[in-house]
Amino acid sequence: MLCEKCKKRTATVFYNENINGKTRAYSLCGECAAKLREKGDLQDITSMIGTFADPFSELHDNLFGGFFGLPTQMSVPAEKKCGTCGCSYSDIARDGRVGCAECYTVFSNELSRMIQSVHGTTTHTGKIPARHRAQQERARKLENLKKSMKDAITNEDFERAAALRDEIRQMESEGTKKEEE
Amino acid sequence: MAWYNTTGQSADTVISSRVRLARNINGYPFVSRLDANGANEIIEKVSIPLDASGFRKINFADLSPIMATSYVERHYVSPEFATKESPHALFLMEQQGIAVMVCEEDHLRIQSILPGLALEEAYKNASNTEKRLDEDFDFSYSEQLGYLTHCPTNLGTGMRASVMMFLPALTRAGYMNSLANQLSKLGLTVRGLFGEGSGTAGYMYQISNQITLGITEEETLKKMNDAIRQISESEQKARKAITGDALERLSDHILRSEGILKYAYMISSSEFIKLFADVRFGIALGIVSNITYEQLGTLLVEAMPATLTLSSENTPKGESARDKLRAQKIQNILNKK
Ligand SMILES: [Zn+2]
Ligand SMILES: [Zn+2]
Repeated sequence: MLCEKCKKRTATVFYNENINGKTRAYSLCGECAAKLREKGDLQDITSMIGTFADPFSELHDNLFGGFFGLPTQMSVPAEKKCGTCGCSYSDIARDGRVGCAECYTVFSNELSRMIQSVHGTTTHTGKIPARHRAQQERARKLENLKKSMKDAITNEDFERAAALRDEIRQMESEGTKKEEE
Repeated sequence: MAWYNTTGQSADTVISSRVRLARNINGYPFVSRLDANGANEIIEKVSIPLDASGFRKINFADLSPIMATSYVERHYVSPEFATKESPHALFLMEQQGIAVMVCEEDHLRIQSILPGLALEEAYKNASNTEKRLDEDFDFSYSEQLGYLTHCPTNLGTGMRASVMMFLPALTRAGYMNSLANQLSKLGLTVRGLFGEGSGTAGYMYQISNQITLGITEEETLKKMNDAIRQISESEQKARKAITGDALERLSDHILRSEGILKYAYMISSSEFIKLFADVRFGIALGIVSNITYEQLGTLLVEAMPATLTLSSENTPKGESARDKLRAQKIQNILNKK
């Protein structure tokens, strides 16, 4: 994600601003955030959601021996905690790591911008583990069928839509049967 | 035989290739929140299929610091892994260059390291071991984010492919910063290895993929291979561009380094890295003829402090004793034909 101020560097500072009850989210690069802070335009530092280092700035650090790590510095007002491992988002931001697999669900909103800024996307396209393969492929097929059904209805091809609906129902009932077993 | 005493494809510019897959097992918190019982349980559980597949188990909790460091020097574990307090273990199949770190940053770090440019083969090795473990364990995974890892920077494939390159001509010509910039645009990173400060004393760099989400394993390997080939070509061009007086001076410098490597009475580890790099450059340029890449590769591990100390019957006392031992070790290996 690019900094919305200079539109050149990767955004690494994310914060919410509350003006007259309206919340606006900002994404800035470190340099622009520092400039705003100097000018006093970025006063509400306590409302900052997160500051993650620009992953690509590591490149230069890397040349000089830096290795692991995602230097972080942030403060968070809310203290929602992961029910499985007990970690809060400020723990995650401090460590640059989540506490358990469940954290990715619990903090999905908070993490998505950081994930987007590191990887440029939030959607996996690579290998699927064996035990998820059938299910994920089935889900992808179901999604396609539903899309075709919508298209058929838009095109007033109701015969085809009905056939697709039957196929979808068939797949869905098979799915629940499997789950019951 | 291990990865470091053999050579592979593109040996002039590539020292080794490594592919690492990060995996976590459902039902356990990630490593920083895992207690000793949980860690030991994971080690126990994975040792069943890994034992059966022929891996040797090395329990790092019982290991002396010097032994642990020697595994770092052979590039099988990270420095962080070697100095960890909580239970952690390495499963190693050295002949095939496959190593599984258990309870490093992730529950499992399955990696394969091979000499030269061999990313596909390294991926195949790591992937086969991963497949075997996938049968027994439910890996943490989400359809949206792929393999769930301790650090969000590894989400998706959890795969890091890295190639250790030897780039003396590009380094000397001052191209490394601009190369780093170009690579960053492709989602790749470069890191200098060995040597203090600038990290360029050994002319050795690790090139790796930065992004793991929204890209397939095959796409990553292709991107890496394309980049490595291009960097290799640039390096070869930069080597050819050294001519005339510059080549005369370089030849003198390299042959002096060869002389020191062969005949010095004491060699420190930082001096060794410089000599190693000069002589390796000399072989590539045809200036040094009676030392092989295999010998140098062996030295790159055996002349390192921990491995060196372990190889000697009487532990050298103090720095000068170790530097003397290093010089002897180097001469032994260079005289072996
Ligand atoms: Zn900016
Ligand atoms: Zn958690």
